[in-house]
Amino acid sequence: MTLRFTIIGISVGAASLAAIGAFAQENSGLAEWEKVYAVFSHPRCANCHVEDESPRWSGPHYGATRVHGFAIGRGEDGFGNPGQRCTTCHFETNSPKLHGPPGAPHWHLAPAEMVWFEKSSAEICAQIKDPARNGGRTLEEIAVHVRDDALVGWGWSPGPGREPAPGSAQETYEALVAWADAGAPCPGE
Amino acid sequence: MQITINGNVRELDVDPEMPLLWALRDVAGVLGPKFGCGIAACGACTVFIDGQPVRSCVMPVGQVSGAVTTIEGLGEPDALHPVQQAWIDEQVPQCGYCQAGQIMSAVALLAEIPNPTDEDIDKAMSGNLCRCGTYPRIRAAVKRAARSMGEA
Repeated sequence: MTLRFTIIGISVGAASLAAIGAFAQENSGLAEWEKVYAVFSHPRCANCHVEDESPRWSGPHYGATRVHGFAIGRGEDGFGNPGQRCTTCHFETNSPKLHGPPGAPHWHLAPAEMVWFEKSSAEICAQIKDPARNGGRTLEEIAVHVRDDALVGWGWSPGPGREPAPGSAQETYEALVAWADAGAPCPGE
Repeated sequence: MQITINGNVRELDVDPEMPLLWALRDVAGVLGPKFGCGIAACGACTVFIDGQPVRSCVMPVGQVSGAVTTIEGLGEPDALHPVQQAWIDEQVPQCGYCQAGQIMSAVALLAEIPNPTDEDIDKAMSGNLCRCGTYPRIRAAVKRAARSMGEA
């Protein structure tokens, strides 16, 4: 009888430990995700991850966030409209002048399904994990893309007068990997 | 560095960080593109790189990766580009300062959309400002050019 209770006790204890471990892993994963969300929701990233036709401008001198001037639009390929392509003004490097156009290689809008602008942490998290809305990428591929892509990297080096995204490309890569290793948990709404 | 400007290969002794507009105007002596704002916000400096419009006041000359075409390269005085002719026929310019950039953007638009709507024109040309307010005549000239190019 004593042995039976002992075995039951060990079983219950192991189950509790497993539950506590899973809880701790989810919590650590969510903490890593929040680092990623702080980057993806930052204006340097979200202003060009929109679901409509217009990239956004924001910064202290604009007051509220506004649509990009000059009637700039997504165009059929995300690289702007005929006559006003993104690369009409955005070159390989930032303009050194205050209010001059920022620049990085292959400047363009993210596809509309990759929307981050004005989306919640839960919504962005779900999008990042959905291959139908993340460019068919694995989480590892997303992490590498964030670390290595030159246009993504612009977010941490945005030129004069613009606040950079928090952290760095390497730190965001590491947060994405740690989040994926923890089971890629998403926050609730 | 070597740059092809309006079909001519030019050797320019310039800093690669120099804006293309400076290289064109001050070094190569090509004066059609104009300096307006210096931050790609007015369009007066618009030229083509391999047929695509760029604001030359911001583009570092070292990043030029194709042939440059300016307003001088569109047509000859006795054989104007249809857009240039439409600009004359509609008597578009007042002071004229922005018009080289306006015409370059119109040519770029018509190359991709031969019969543009008002919305197409707005999307293509809202980055070209005209302090004289010639926009109604610009719109008419774009449509006139579209008709004449369609008949050609």
